[in-house]
Amino acid sequence: MGYGPQWRTESECMKQRFTPNDVGSVVATLQPAPSTAEELVMYSNASGDTNPLHLKLEFAKKAGFDNLVVHGMLGMAHMGRLLTSHFPAAAIASFLVRFSAVILVGEQVNYQATLEECGNEFYRLALVATTTTGGVVMKGEATIRITEPTFPT
Amino acid sequence: MISRALIGLSLPTFQVTVDAERVRLFAQAIGETNPDYFNGIVPPTFLKAIDGENNSSRRILELLDVELTNVLHVEQQFDYFAPVHVGDCITVNRKVIDIHDKRDGALEFIVIESLFSNVSDQLLGRAKQWVMVRNGARKVNA
Repeated sequence: MGYGPQWRTESECMKQRFTPNDVGSVVATLQPAPSTAEELVMYSNASGDTNPLHLKLEFAKKAGFDNLVVHGMLGMAHMGRLLTSHFPAAAIASFLVRFSAVILVGEQVNYQATLEECGNEFYRLALVATTTTGGVVMKGEATIRITEPTFPT
Repeated sequence: MISRALIGLSLPTFQVTVDAERVRLFAQAIGETNPDYFNGIVPPTFLKAIDGENNSSRRILELLDVELTNVLHVEQQFDYFAPVHVGDCITVNRKVIDIHDKRDGALEFIVIESLFSNVSDQLLGRAKQWVMVRNGARKVNA
């Protein structure tokens, strides 16, 4: 399995190098366009998650929401884009989020990563996503490998 | 209450070949425009789309006899040991690894683990999904 070449290619994309002085700094932000109903249909088809909360406005309204509910995993995927826009995908060692509130179609969400720890082998990032009204929709953390791992070739 | 005897419930192992078109659609849906993701390493959360291919979380919750309208996906974790690429044949093992409750059983938590391996039996990744069940919650009428 040829992991080597992909890693080298991706490694060249590593845009961020941090020092312990950067701990506490916001190191990445992402503001994707607010999700649309069409986007939720696309995500349902691509992910297999066809819960009607994401697809049927009537159902979402009966469940007490003012609009379609964005898949939690689509929000996490946007947080994933925040990571992959700054680090190679192969450098991500772990990625965790806790969902604390739903995102509705049309809501602008800001995704942000803060450097929590700058070790010799890993960066640890604190992740948060907030709506423009300041509500936290998810919090989490990710660890990023700094040294190149050796994969079997 | 969900029977605690179901902790350890393993679902049948299944295999998925990571389809380029599926990854392209997924990347498009999440707004990922980097072409590396169309034929290289899959986006980080794509593993969640793989593990729902068979033994979906919905199916698992049905096996646990949980009312689907009362559940919320409250937490998701991924550990990546080696990259998953387009074209890889991935073996998926899903298992209920914990069931516990809070507030005297008003809230129950189900933890589902997914292990992703390649054809050489190398563990590429692990996912954990926390599902919260609101017992006695008002039922949503579809």
